[in-house]
Amino acid sequence: MRVRGALIAVFVLFGCALFTPAQNLNSKARVGAFAKLPDWSGMWEPDIFVGQADGQQFSEEALRKMKARAEALRPSFTPEYQTKYEQIRKSIEAAISADPLHPPATHQPLCGSPPFPATFTPGMFEWRVTPEETTFISTVGAVRHIYTDGRSHPPKDLLWPTLMGDSIAHWEGDTLVVDTIATKRRIYMGELTGFFMPMSDQLHFTERIRMVNHDAIQIDYTVEDPVALTKPIHTVMTQTRVTDFDRMLEEADCEENERDPVVNGRFTTVTH
Amino acid sequence: MFDQTKQITLVGTVKEFQWTNPHCWIQVLVPDPKDPQAAPVEWGVEMGAPVELMRKGWKPSSLNPGDKVTIIANPLRDGQPGGLVVSVTGPDGKIIGHPAAPGSRAP
Repeated sequence: MRVRGALIAVFVLFGCALFTPAQNLNSKARVGAFAKLPDWSGMWEPDIFVGQADGQQFSEEALRKMKARAEALRPSFTPEYQTKYEQIRKSIEAAISADPLHPPATHQPLCGSPPFPATFTPGMFEWRVTPEETTFISTVGAVRHIYTDGRSHPPKDLLWPTLMGDSIAHWEGDTLVVDTIATKRRIYMGELTGFFMPMSDQLHFTERIRMVNHDAIQIDYTVEDPVALTKPIHTVMTQTRVTDFDRMLEEADCEENERDPVVNGRFTTVTH
Repeated sequence: MFDQTKQITLVGTVKEFQWTNPHCWIQVLVPDPKDPQAAPVEWGVEMGAPVELMRKGWKPSSLNPGDKVTIIANPLRDGQPGGLVVSVTGPDGKIIGHPAAPGSRAP
């Protein structure tokens, strides 16, 4: 009996060790780390769109706010990039003039995830704050991974421009300070400016994200590019807690029923 | 795409309510009031994504084939029988959901 009991004890101990997830080894420390993090649970949306956006339509108030923000964000380009910007603007205007009914698709994001920063496009968002990473998830398909585990950006030879770039961050009290590089070499202010702005490979974003009260997350947003800009672009945006809806529902399934296919580089519409 | 300076009124019968991403569409058969004997014209009118419509009080069952509806829409600029929904009045004579605020338009 004593031998059998000992075998059972060994099995229980060994079995527990075998099937215990490695993560549990430091679970106490991890729980402690969670407890120090701010609670950004819930759903959020940009404040300027609260009750103001309906599909492709925006209220006059939202449009006015978007225009004012666009003016505040107008980049101050270096001469080289001012020339590039003017070339893009003229080519877009020429393309629109050539076929006003079918605008060119080259200067606007197509259906799908908005590009970085994706935090102020119409839609709803969730923030998932963990000790290792804060994740931003939007109903329009954007997912950002913001690493807070102390890592650095990858070396240059392992970086290339991507939709969301590479984000690392650290906490300064209850403020998440995010450093992002390697986004596509352009900035897009969504509906704020209407089209992409050319930028260099020095494009760099800093976001300071903080919950200022139970119903508002504020993002202090700075764009720097010493090659393309004569001075940084800076703005503060606010996300408001969503109180009239309780589910994240994907809305960027563009395969399902996209009726604005791009044909020969231009948007078209299929009515049925 | 849409001429948001203009509004048209479509009175017809729902052929299909497409509760789909990225946007919902109503396919509606609209008879020609000047020629009731002619085959009705199928119009496609666009709305927002299901999640946006739900927040505006719509459901997947808000419209069904055969429902008589009156739709106010911004027409397509290119003259195709299509538009962007401003409001939809259902078979019971009530506007479905909460329509966009007056003056709303695309950026």
